Amino acid sequence: MKNYEDLNVLELDTIREIGSIGTGNAATALSSMLGCEVRIDMPEVRIMGYNEAIDWIGGPEVITAGVLVHMSGELNGIMLSVQQMEFVNLVLQRMVGRTVQEYEQLDDLDRSALVEVGNIMISTFINALSSLAEITTRLTVPAFAVDMQGAILTVPMAEFGGQSDYIMTIGANFICAGKAVPCQLLLSPDIRSLNFLLKKLGVLDE
Amino acid sequence: MNDKLVVGIADMKMARQNGMLVTYALGSCIGICLYDPLIQLAALVHIMLPLNMETGRKSPLKYADTGICETLRRMEAQGGSRTRIVAKIAGGARMFETPGGGNLGNIGQRNIESTHMVLRREGIRLLREDVGGTVARTLLFDAASGQACVRSYGKPELIF
Repeated sequence: MKNYEDLNVLELDTIREIGSIGTGNAATALSSMLGCEVRIDMPEVRIMGYNEAIDWIGGPEVITAGVLVHMSGELNGIMLSVQQMEFVNLVLQRMVGRTVQEYEQLDDLDRSALVEVGNIMISTFINALSSLAEITTRLTVPAFAVDMQGAILTVPMAEFGGQSDYIMTIGANFICAGKAVPCQLLLSPDIRSLNFLLKKLGVLDE
Repeated sequence: MNDKLVVGIADMKMARQNGMLVTYALGSCIGICLYDPLIQLAALVHIMLPLNMETGRKSPLKYADTGICETLRRMEAQGGSRTRIVAKIAGGARMFETPGGGNLGNIGQRNIESTHMVLRREGIRLLREDVGGTVARTLLFDAASGQACVRSYGKPELIF
């Protein structure tokens, strides 16, 4: 069993490719939902220590919205859509025709729009990944939270904390209607599933 | 405001007589403040999981059981005394309500229970706590007074 930090270049490239296909599909879904052009920048695979990951996402105390889905079946893990204010407003403007200044102003309809956008992007990503690797993955109902992003990011960390001191994230930023909008889509598989996935794709160097 | 000593995840820092210890964005994690009032020795440890079941035990501060024991040991090395050390804790929230999401939602609750149990076992008196719920917390701990302060999103600051 390979831990996150033991992966070689080929394995990391494969994961990056998965990330690219997944986020590409998610971007297409987002584009048709919002009715605007959506591009993605270079997808990244990062293997980070806990505190490094929190710095990378932009500091612990910044308030963001997060949509979280649990995966089970042949692939176990967590997928998270971290939605910062700019992205929230982009979605709200296009879907419900209003914007907010603060997260407190989000009403039920706004929240439901954000959950749906997150859920559809996550499901599209996982569907693309599942058909690529010919595996079946079940997803839970999406959960939504608005809070400090440090605490949101510790959810996948705590989930796999017993296995590793690192967290692996696969994700990309979205560029909507020509404007760079930070919206990280993060996939954190557990270590066993990651090994299974790489094996299934024929690149695991045992 | 004097300089703050930042305690990361699975990390612990100590301060004596003055200084402010801070740990940011406790979700299901727990921040444990341990304080020896006589010599004004303060320690803040940020744990993530309830029990250490690692074989190598490389990172004791990640877990409630080994984290508390290791912190007490280091405090004693600095002249702290177990009979005087008191505790205040914060954290253990449930960030996401996930129906059928495995043990994910329970990590916070398990952390709280494990922390209580370990403190009781080590004979450390728990003075105050702000645990559970669904909000993230930032915990500040002042070495001069032994006072802790919890900051969360959309709520007034809580000093205890």
